[in-house]
Amino acid sequence: MTNPVFWVGVLTLALIYANLAMVLNVESGWGGMWDLGVAGLLASGAYFYVILGVDDPELGTRFVPGLPMWLAWPLAAVFTGLVALAIALPSLRLRREYFLITTLAFAEIIRQIAVIQADLTRGTVGFSSLDRPLDTLVEARSYNYVLLGIVAFATLVMYAITRRIGLSSYGRTLRAARDNEALALALGKRVNRMRIKTFVLAGVLIGAVAPLYLFYIRAITPQLFAPGITFTVWTALVIGGLGSIRGGVLGAVVLIVFTQGVRLIEIDPQYVSSIEPFLVGLLLVLVLRFRPDGLISERNTFGAARLRSRGRGPVPATAGAAAVAVDSSSGPAEPAPSA
Amino acid sequence: MQNVVFGIITGSTLAVATIGFAMVYRTENFLNIAHAQMMALGGFIGVVLVKSYGWNVFVAGAVTVVGVGALGVVVAAVFFRPVRHLGGTVLLFTSIGVALILYAAIIALFSTQARFYSVGFGTRYEFAGINVLTGELVIVGLAFASIIALQLFLNGTGLGRAVRATASNDDLARVRGVPVRRVSNTIWFISSAFGAMAGVMIGVLSSVNAEIGWHHILTVLAAAVLGGLRSLSGVIVAGLLLGIAMDVSVLFINSSYRPVVAFGVLVAVLVLRPEGILSVQRRKEAAVA
Repeated sequence: MTNPVFWVGVLTLALIYANLAMVLNVESGWGGMWDLGVAGLLASGAYFYVILGVDDPELGTRFVPGLPMWLAWPLAAVFTGLVALAIALPSLRLRREYFLITTLAFAEIIRQIAVIQADLTRGTVGFSSLDRPLDTLVEARSYNYVLLGIVAFATLVMYAITRRIGLSSYGRTLRAARDNEALALALGKRVNRMRIKTFVLAGVLIGAVAPLYLFYIRAITPQLFAPGITFTVWTALVIGGLGSIRGGVLGAVVLIVFTQGVRLIEIDPQYVSSIEPFLVGLLLVLVLRFRPDGLISERNTFGAARLRSRGRGPVPATAGAAAVAVDSSSGPAEPAPSA
Repeated sequence: MQNVVFGIITGSTLAVATIGFAMVYRTENFLNIAHAQMMALGGFIGVVLVKSYGWNVFVAGAVTVVGVGALGVVVAAVFFRPVRHLGGTVLLFTSIGVALILYAAIIALFSTQARFYSVGFGTRYEFAGINVLTGELVIVGLAFASIIALQLFLNGTGLGRAVRATASNDDLARVRGVPVRRVSNTIWFISSAFGAMAGVMIGVLSSVNAEIGWHHILTVLAAAVLGGLRSLSGVIVAGLLLGIAMDVSVLFINSSYRPVVAFGVLVAVLVLRPEGILSVQRRKEAAVA
């Protein structure tokens, strides 16, 4: 059962999750915004992309824009950014658990809208056999390799973008506001505005990743965007290490290879569908218990930068733990005061 | 008006489901995502006892509630207590992990098919055009009786007072010699037992399937937040209001928007009144000022 096509598919899915985990890391790992609405933004991006590309009136949807792929893709990202803005404005006035629940609620609202507005989304039927980029170049059998190439390229781009953000003064301000909001405010940083921008940026990036997910699945129904997908991305990030870019990638690859790989083992069909949630859950529990910072911790990511600034002061995480309201929102990376 | 009655029935099961969730939040300080899986588990164990073993539904319900309560204590000891010192975030994600493990266990043990209790609901009563079945009255009655019993326990017994002491100030309670471990076990037992009771009630009212845990965690979160995470009476009011809002909204808008209403209400309340409907904090502040 060492079919290379199977592993190509697994790796493609893993890298798609890696992209999402990198975006989530900017937003939640550094921004401290506990977003449980990844599925909602992914759904927005995916549906915008598909609806903008509808070119067959036979499908019975209200609009038949028939935009080409290269136009629908960026537009989907922009529209998802607008959806993110609409979510961010009320949600970001809330803290911690309340923010988390609101984002979860918005994701669920988006999914229900996708079910109900059948004249746009074709409801639970959805769309299938979606077009994929460059699929005229190669025969269908070997298309999986092309898709892996596209996704791998996207992963590199996303890595570059998030790394740039992480090392920029903007990224540092995000982390500073996460660790000590009062201090960041006192330094004249417009924390709330910055968070809204970050949330919108995450929306745009998730919207841009969404079509990749569709190229992999080749169909779209609201059921794809159940909260489970949000939990999977979070699990990948937490396993890899919240606050670390490479951690998100590593976590996604480990998680997906692990959960998809077990499909190769012959098991009683009754237990097949329970294997994946079981492994994800077990992996999450074990990593949190024995390595709560994840496989790659935030300290490792910024180790070099931290070393350079060591002479000038304590590490940010220890700066004023008692003084801040964001204590529980700074993630497992928080109890990490390195001597 | 008929829909208000439906709403009260939905709302009272929701209140039962949310109370356990809110209790854990108050004392352990984290959102226990696994709570709704305890509901699903309760629903399934109940249905198996009733359908496969032919037990009376009340006996089956009682056994389920005690059994799942005990399981809750074990789950807390195995999964949650060892990471408690790492704080709320690690606990929250551990609870997502536990929820996934329980979900996997539910699929493996009971398969994904919907199961029905097929319990008779007894005679139909009619007052001024509103229909109520005996069984529905029994469920609402049981829900309120168990909530009142919980209140009596918390206010009237030594252990109950210890629970409340731990909820309001963990460290102080510990210093004053409250048996923390025993209190924690009690809380987990009550929380999981109430979850299982809600699961059985929802199962009896409609059906049980493997997904109900994921469906209900959202409404439970909504009710808990709406009630203010720290106030038990607020949770009851919120559960009822949310139930009524969901069932009455059906009269005005497409019934498939029913779940959206709950979240819409939730988002509106969060934005307008982030402390919940009956916030202890707010009242305390008002009293001081």
